[in-house]
Parts: sequence; C-alpha cells; structure tokens
Amino acid sequence: MASALEQFVNTVRTSSSHGNFRELCEYINKSSEILIKHSQHLDNVLETLDIQQHSLGILAVLCAKFSVQPAANSTDNRFTQAQDFILNCNGEQIRFAPDTFAELCHSLTNYLVEQKQPLKGIVLLQKAISKLRLYDSQLTSIHADLCKLCLLAKCFKPALELLNIDITGICQELTQNPNGPQFDSKYFLLYYYYGGMIYLAVRNLDRALYFFEVAITTPSLAVSHIMLEAFKKYILVSLLLHGKIQAIPKYASQVVTRFIKPLSQPYYELANAFTSNNTAELNAVLNKHSEIFNRDHNMGLVKQVSSVLYKKNIQRLTKTFLTLSLSDVASRVGLSSPVEAENHILQMIEKQQIFATINQKDGMVVFRDEPDKYSGPEVLKGLEEQLSLCMELDRQILAMDEEIQVNPQYVKKSSGLQDEEQPKSTYAM
Amino acid sequence: MVVNGNNKLAEDLERQELEAPNGVPSPQVYQQLLAIYLYQNDLCNAKYLWKRIPPTVKASTPELVNIWAVGQSMWTRDFPAIYKALNAVTWSDTVAEIMKQVQEVVRARAVDLISQAYSSISLEAVSAMTGLSPEVCIPACAERGWNFDADTKMIRPIRQVIEHLGQTSSEDQLSKLTDFVSFLEN
Amino acid sequence: MAQMMLQNAVEPMQVDAPPEDNDNNEEDNYVVENPTLDLEVYANNYIGLAKLYRLLYIIDHCPSLKLEALKTAISYAMTTYNVNLYQVLHQKLAEVTTSMNVPDVAAPSTSQDIPTIDNLWMETRSKRAALKLEKLDNDLKNYKSNSIKESIRRGHDDLGDHYLDCGDLSNALKCYSRARDYCTSGKHVVNMCLNVIKVSVYLQNWSHVLSYVSKAESTPDFSETQSKDSNQVILTKLKCAAGLAELATKKYKSAAKHFLQANLDHCDFPELLSPNNVAMYGGLCALATFDRHELQKNVIFSSSFKLFLELEPQLRDIIFKFYESKYASCLKLLDEIKDNLLLDMYIAPHVNTLYTQIRNRALIQYFSPYLSADMHKMALAFNRTVPALEDELMQLILEGQIQARIDSHNKILFAKDVDQRSTTFEKSLLMGKEYQRRTRMLILRAAVLKNKIHVKSPQRDAGQTGEITVVPF
Repeated sequence: MASALEQFVNTVRTSSSHGNFRELCEYINKSSEILIKHSQHLDNVLETLDIQQHSLGILAVLCAKFSVQPAANSTDNRFTQAQDFILNCNGEQIRFAPDTFAELCHSLTNYLVEQKQPLKGIVLLQKAISKLRLYDSQLTSIHADLCKLCLLAKCFKPALELLNIDITGICQELTQNPNGPQFDSKYFLLYYYYGGMIYLAVRNLDRALYFFEVAITTPSLAVSHIMLEAFKKYILVSLLLHGKIQAIPKYASQVVTRFIKPLSQPYYELANAFTSNNTAELNAVLNKHSEIFNRDHNMGLVKQVSSVLYKKNIQRLTKTFLTLSLSDVASRVGLSSPVEAENHILQMIEKQQIFATINQKDGMVVFRDEPDKYSGPEVLKGLEEQLSLCMELDRQILAMDEEIQVNPQYVKKSSGLQDEEQPKSTYAM
Repeated sequence: MVVNGNNKLAEDLERQELEAPNGVPSPQVYQQLLAIYLYQNDLCNAKYLWKRIPPTVKASTPELVNIWAVGQSMWTRDFPAIYKALNAVTWSDTVAEIMKQVQEVVRARAVDLISQAYSSISLEAVSAMTGLSPEVCIPACAERGWNFDADTKMIRPIRQVIEHLGQTSSEDQLSKLTDFVSFLEN
Repeated sequence: MAQMMLQNAVEPMQVDAPPEDNDNNEEDNYVVENPTLDLEVYANNYIGLAKLYRLLYIIDHCPSLKLEALKTAISYAMTTYNVNLYQVLHQKLAEVTTSMNVPDVAAPSTSQDIPTIDNLWMETRSKRAALKLEKLDNDLKNYKSNSIKESIRRGHDDLGDHYLDCGDLSNALKCYSRARDYCTSGKHVVNMCLNVIKVSVYLQNWSHVLSYVSKAESTPDFSETQSKDSNQVILTKLKCAAGLAELATKKYKSAAKHFLQANLDHCDFPELLSPNNVAMYGGLCALATFDRHELQKNVIFSSSFKLFLELEPQLRDIIFKFYESKYASCLKLLDEIKDNLLLDMYIAPHVNTLYTQIRNRALIQYFSPYLSADMHKMALAFNRTVPALEDELMQLILEGQIQARIDSHNKILFAKDVDQRSTTFEKSLLMGKEYQRRTRMLILRAAVLKNKIHVKSPQRDAGQTGEITVVPF
C-alpha cells in the first residue's frame, strides 16, 4: 500500500478515536485527490477501517471509488460496498460531512440509473435519508434521488411515504460554502418536480399542483429548465383540477412571468380553449401543438385535459338541468353517441363527481342535488380533523414567530439599534 | 378481516420486492401483488407494477399476463370483459383465492353502482355488469327488492343509502371541543 | 384637456367621425331595409351638426332613404359655413347617382331635382367664413385690449359658434373652453359647460361630457336656484347629455336614471336630441335594467316621464305590455321598432345588447313567481321554440340569473332553492383547506428563504440543467 494511503488510514484512525470529526472532515476533503490517484488500492484501505468507528474515512474512500471507472479486469463491488456502508455506518459521524454523504448517494443513484436497476436503490436511499436528516420533515438532497429512482422503477409507494410529509426545514449540506452553509437549489427543484410527477402518476392532482407550485415559486434569478417544465405541468394540472389556470402566486420570481410564460405559449392556448368549454376548439389546439406536447412528454396529461372537458361540461349540465335525455347530453357536450354519454355519466357517478340517476327505459338522466352530506357524525369527524390540522399549523407558525422574536439579529433590527456598519443582507427575507 | 389480511400481505409483498436481490423477486410475489392491487381496485399501482415486471418474468409466468388481462378490462371499465377474463382460466393456487375475491368485489361494486346510478336498467345491462346470467339476475334482484318488469325487461333498482360507521364517545368529543375553544380564545 | 381633443379631431375628416362608433365596428356595416321613419319629421327635430350627423348616419345605413336624406342634408348644409361637409355630401351623392347607372329606370322626377355641386357657392361661402372669422378675431382682440371680461367671454363664445358652424370642432372646443376664464357669474359657467358638452358630444368624448355635466351641476348659483324655468331647461339639457354619455359607455342603468329626470316642458335641446329620443333612450334602458318595482315607480308612475311616453306610443305599449307580463306582444312590438332604432346613431350600437337584456329580464321576471313553469307555455309566451328557449334558459342559469333547473324530459322549469346550510359548510371547508395549503407553503417558503435557496446565474444553471432532462415517461 502506498505511503500516502497509509497516512490517510492513520489520520482517519487517530482522529476518529479522539473524536476530532470536524478536523477529520477537513482533512478528508483535501485528500480526495490522493484517494482517486490510488484507486486500485482502495479496497485494501477499506479492509483496514471499521464501518462504525471510521465511517467518515470509508465514506471518503467510497466517494473516490464512485468517481473513477473500475478497472476492466476487477469485479465491480461498489454497489455492495455502498449498500453495506449506508446500512451500517455511524449516523452521527456522517452528519459531520453531509455533503460528502449526499454526494455518495447521488453517485449511487447515477450508478443504478446507468445499470438500469433503480429498484435496488430505493430501500438504501430511504435508509440514507433517515440517517442524514435530523427530523422527519427535514429535506435532504437525497430526497430528489429517491424520487428519481422511484420514478424510473415505476414504484411509487416508498417515495410517497416521503412526499406526504410536509417539509419544514432544510438540511444545510454544503458546509464548505463560502457564504455559509447552503443547499443546492437544483436538488430542491428536482425534489418538487419529481414529487409532482409522482403525485400525477398516482392521480393525486391536489398534491401534484402543490408541488409544481412550490417549484415555480422558488426564488430565481435565471430560467431553470426544471422550473419551465414544472410550469407547463402546473398549467395542465391546474386545468384538470380547477378548470382554469390557477393564479400564479405574487411572490413568484419575475423570471416566471417574464421568460417562462412566453415559453409556454402552446399551453396557454390550450388553457384558453379549455375555458371556452368548446371541445372542437380544444382538439384543434391539441392537434396544432401535438408535436410540442409530445416533445415535452406532456401528451398524456394533455389528453387527460381534453377528456376532462367532457366531464366539466356534463357537470355544467347538472347545474342547469333536472332531467335530460342521454342523446341531449351527448349532443350538448360533443360526444358521439348516447351510449358514450351514459358511460361518462356512469363513471362520474361512481367517482361521486355528479349525483344522477340514469333511466334506461326512457333514455333519460335525472340530475340530483348532493344528498344531504352535511349531517351526521362523519361530518363532525371530518370537521374535527380539519380543525386539528389547522390548529397544528397555527402552532407551527406561532413557534416560528417566537423563534424570530428571540433571534438576536431581529431584536437588534426591530429595536432600531441597528449598527450602520452591519451588513444589511444578513437577515433580509 | 379479508381486507386487512390482503392489505397486510400487500405490504409484505411490496417489501419483498424492494429487498429482493437484483431487484427481481420471485414470480409469485408479482402474481400475488398484482392480484391484490386489483382486489384493492388500485389500478394505478397495478399498472405500474405490470410495467416494472421484467419481460423475462412475464414470459416465464403466463399467469401474470392473465391477471393483467383482468386489470386492463377493469381499467377500461368493460364489465363483460372483466368477468370473461376472470373466468377464462383456472387460477393457480398462488392467486386463486385472491382472484375469487376480485370477482366478488367487482360484482359488489357493480351492484352498488347500479343501485346508485340507475332508476331503470335493462336486464341485459344488469347481466353484463354483474356477470351473471339473466336467470340468476332476476331472483337476485328480487332479493334486493328491485322490481323486474317482464314485459319491458326492465329492472328498477332501489338506491341504497351508504351508512358510515364510526361513532366517537361524547367524552372524547367534549375534550376535542374544549381544545377548539381554548385554541380560538388564545 | 383641450389639447387632447385636438389630437382626436382630424379636421377635414371630421364629418366622418361620428358614425364610426369606436367600439362597435362589426355592427357598423349593417343595412336597414324597411324603416318606417318619416325623414322630414325626423330631421326637423334637430338643428346644426346634430341634424347633419344624424342624416349622415341614415345615409350610411339605409339605402332606401339615402337619396332623400342626402338632399335634405345638402340643403341644410348650405345654410351653414360647413363647406367640408357639403363636399363630402356631394361625394356621397355622386356615388348614389353613378350607381343608378340606368337613369331612365329611376323615377325621372327624382333625378331632376338632384342638386348639383355648386362650386361658386363653395368659394363664396369659404370666403365669407374666413371674413367672418377675421372679424370675430379682431373683435376679440379689441375686447381683450380693453379688458372687458364680459365682452371677451362673448367674443370667445361667438368665435366658438362660428367654428362650430364651419364644422371645426376642435377649434370650437378651444374657444368655448377659453371663455371659462372670463365667466363672472354662475350662469356664465353653466353656459360655458353647456357649450363644451355640446361639442364633446359631437366629438364623442364621453368622459369629457360627464365631467362638464357635474361641473355645471355643482356650480353654486345654478344649484341654488333650480326652481326657475330657465334652470329647468338647463337641468334637462344636462340630464340628457349625461344620459347620452352613459348610454354610449354602456352604463345603461345610470343612463336610464338620467333620462328619467328630464322634463318634457323644458326639453328643448335640438342641438343634441329630441324629446322622442329621450323617451326612447330612457325607456329602453329602463326596461333593460330596472326590476319590476323600479320600473313601476320610476317609469310607469312617473308623471313627468309619462308625458315623454305619449310621444312614442309604441314604446309606451311595449313598456306596459312588459309590465303586464304580456311578453310575446311586448317582444313583437320591440321587433317592429327595431329598424327605426337602428337608424339612430346613438342607440343603434346598443340595440342588440339592450334587446337581449330586456328579453332576459322578461324571462327572469316571467319565472320569478313560480316554483315550476311549463316550458311549452313559456316558449309560446316568448315566441320561441322549446329547444331555443332551453338554450336561453341554460345560459341564464349558468350565469346565476335564474335559480332554477330544467326538467328536459317533461319540459318544465323548476325553481331551485339554495341550501344555505350546506353551502356554508362547503365554503368553510374549502376555506380551511385553502388555509392549510397556504400555511404549509408559507412554512416551506420560510425555510427556503432562510436557506437562501435560489436559482443562480444563467451560466451555472445551464450547465446543471443540461443533465436534468430526465423525464422518465
């Protein structure tokens, strides 16, 4: 073993045994080049280190291994090593080097994507996230990796467990950053973009819209492709859910209105056609821009939008009619036959989107009001649930408020004792 | 009880799939999981499971294809096709029990839907939606109090009121109420 | 203000401006075939530019009256200094005569008394106009050097009158406006306002009209001595002008309210409109926008407006039929007067809108006392087929104007009562959901800002997003 590597091993061992993890991190950051240079001997290094005691050292070695292609004649043992490490490493230690740990996970993700075995990494990344984050609602950059793997594997349940927790804090991974610890906006955007797509896949439109909205309102000084794609999907989901483009929040960055909107023109045309309730017009736009929709991989969603228009129009009918013949329904919403109309209505009844009864004998539909749904204990239960959610959120806000109240910088500023030399941007929100 | 049993089995199978070496579990896992998704009417997850099963496994386990044939018909809501697909093959022991339950829930849902959505419906349509022959349908409908008019071959279903369960004790409600009030006052 | 006017007014084309209603271009190109209008009586209601503009509107929209209107207009134009308009009228006349390419077929009597363009008249008239202008200008200069306020004011007014006579609206407006600085009494101010209003109407500058109406109304002397007869005349003029402006800007309800305040005995405003116009404009706007109670109180039982309605018996019948819920005959009568309305330059652009509104109001009113209504009978009452009525009702229901649902099977319209309780439940649940959503977003956003997450400089971003095109579907 080369002497440089020996020195590395020694430093890792002594620092670890003395608990000098902070210094060790700095040392490790500097030694990555040496490790890469001696990549053929790294397996030997691993043998001399203990997975629990020297987690930081092993982390560095594994990162180095993932950054070079393995020699052609050696067996590629990187996955098993990473697997072993993630499952058994010391969580406390790796939290000293969150960026390196996240980097290992990014590398692992890319590796699995290349190998076309995304499913294998899902459990591992779940474990990795639970080791890195300090509390359940903290976002790490590994979140985005897990979502990506789940999307590729078409296996969404593991990601949903994560996505269903609302993020309240963000792991400051880039500890070496000159401007203080940070989090890469790329992984933030990716998490919300992938998350939105996963919710779309499992037909949870409400959450999908929320996720895309987060993506498009991320503070931004430049046009990000992720944001642009999220914006297009935001429009489509908005149509599916609300029948019109939901207003873009005022706090969205200027780039959204200035650059992203003009880049999404076909989608706006689609939305206009949709809000006119005219099926023919909508289909015309769909055909006109089908190439763009296909290229954006949004054709599936666009088609959903067009089929939802039938439903929307049927819903409009329920507001105006008590009874209507199936053939009238068909002609009024632009369906080709009464049978088709019956199918649509049947589907909507099943999903409780409308309340109606079909009379096959006369070929009529009777639209009913919603059965008195605001009576009985289940309503109370629902109300209670909603209320307690609101209360919980209110508590969170109060806690945040208190936190700010006792923040020395805030106190200083608000009491007017602001030092003029103090840089103003420190707490500019 | 069956519901819980299947849900638990599903979780177990999902875990098995994720932890399988190389990401490919045994075909039985796929078979059962796919069947259970159908039973749960979770067509989204069924579809994605079908998509992620490796082609080699699909080729070596023809029963998977048969199960998915049912799922596809469910996706298009083509009732006659569902029953046809369910009864076209003899299911292996791995999934026979679940597939039997699938048929039961599909039928139960169909009956439910008929009662919710129709004030009059042809015998033919009822037969198609339940997968039962007309001769079986007529007494079955009569049992539910649905009127059958032999002249017009029309059945008049009665709408069922879906009962919701779940009572909470008044003491519990009182404490919640106290919470709300104290929240509002502060 | 005056300068803005200047830009609006392109002098030689001035005469063409009024018929081109700014916001109704598509309705501008219609043709009225069968009016029952008596042109002579109609034209005699107006003087000055009002008469000429109204005739021009008829010339442009009614072939059957075109020739007669042209003749009337030309002979009237010859009494003014408006040489430009005279020329334009002759151009239009030439178009008519050349289009009648076979002169023998046209009645020989008419072809004989077709006036020919009188170049000599034009020349002398222009000269005289210029001379008069010079004289008035000099007079004004003299007054100014003598600093007699009253004379200066009159001088400006005279000059304005002359410009108006020549058809030079922008200069007329300028002169009338300048008189403002030399007003010594409330009466003068009101007079100045009326002048400005008149020109502004010709220029179709409706916001100007309204602001000067309110200026006149708030002049102290005027508002104190309202009882006097002369003030009644002025008041009616102001109300009419305001009504016209509101009508033109589609505020039909306030237009109606203004017209309803006019007083027939003091309605003398031939420079703008006739009492018949007041009746028609006010009546139709009221019908389109008033509810039953308002209609009864402000129109039918209004002693002053009753007199106006006597001038337009057809309209009176329409309003009474409407009030008596005889909608079929009401709508039929409305159709009968439609052609004549379409020849009226001020109400023509609004006829279709007003008619639809009247119809909708009738539908709403017809149904209001019922819990259910037979659509066959309803269709009969409204002169419509049942399917057409169904479409109309559908639109009204969707707009929330009728709280009802249609039983298309039995063709019955049923009133629908809104369940306050469940809508309240619905609303509050929705509100709660919205609160949760926003609060979650807020908490997340606080975290984002705290961590200074933002998309940075383009170069770096481009490099990064290049690889992020993973869209695995």
